[in-house]
Amino acid sequence: MLDGDVRELRRLAASIESFCRERGLGDDVAFDLNLALEELFVNAVKHGGCRGMESAARVRLELVEGGVAVEIADRGAPFDPTAAPAPDLGTPLAARAAGGLGIHLVRQVMRDVRYARTGGWNRVTMRRHL
Amino acid sequence: MIQVTQEERSGWCVVGVRGRADSEAADDLEHALRGAIEMHGKVAADFGALDYISSAGLRAVLQAARAAEERAAEFAVCHLTGGVKKVFEISGMHHLLRIQGELPC
Repeated sequence: MLDGDVRELRRLAASIESFCRERGLGDDVAFDLNLALEELFVNAVKHGGCRGMESAARVRLELVEGGVAVEIADRGAPFDPTAAPAPDLGTPLAARAAGGLGIHLVRQVMRDVRYARTGGWNRVTMRRHL
Repeated sequence: MIQVTQEERSGWCVVGVRGRADSEAADDLEHALRGAIEMHGKVAADFGALDYISSAGLRAVLQAARAAEERAAEFAVCHLTGGVKKVFEISGMHHLLRIQGELPC
């Protein structure tokens, strides 16, 4: 469980590191898990109304056949990252909007990204192939 | 959390960044890079010891690049490795930033 505070990223990163170390997964896997989970968690804190909320999000990692199954759920406003528009990566520096990039990164490093809204929770499941 | 060093080398201000450029550290990163850009006409960000970057860290680098553009300062991002390099590539940053393997000085 993570509280709605960006400083929780330290705890998240530490648990990803121990998950990967205990299962002999490399730094590249840990990197991608950190990236996808940070983007979704921080999105819920900054834009989903989770800031300051206790037990705002929960994360589950499981080593499965061929990859790592990842689940992150948060109690923020409904947000479907699979429906978010892709950022325009060709726009000039000065014109580029801030948003969209994080979700783009999630989609690039993860496979089978799925979203469901159940019982007041946003639930995203995805897979990091090995 | 990031650690930042700054040194001058043959006309360039080299900003060395070590650690994790995540959402928590992004403001510190932007502050360090912009601070250097305000004081120097040529700034190289040395990311050789940077272990991790997320979109928040990328945005900090983009903001710094924008500040450099406004001041007509040179700004180069150098020594990208591993996952950090991959994140710059899949974000299309090579179209927007001067990215090079080695420091320019």
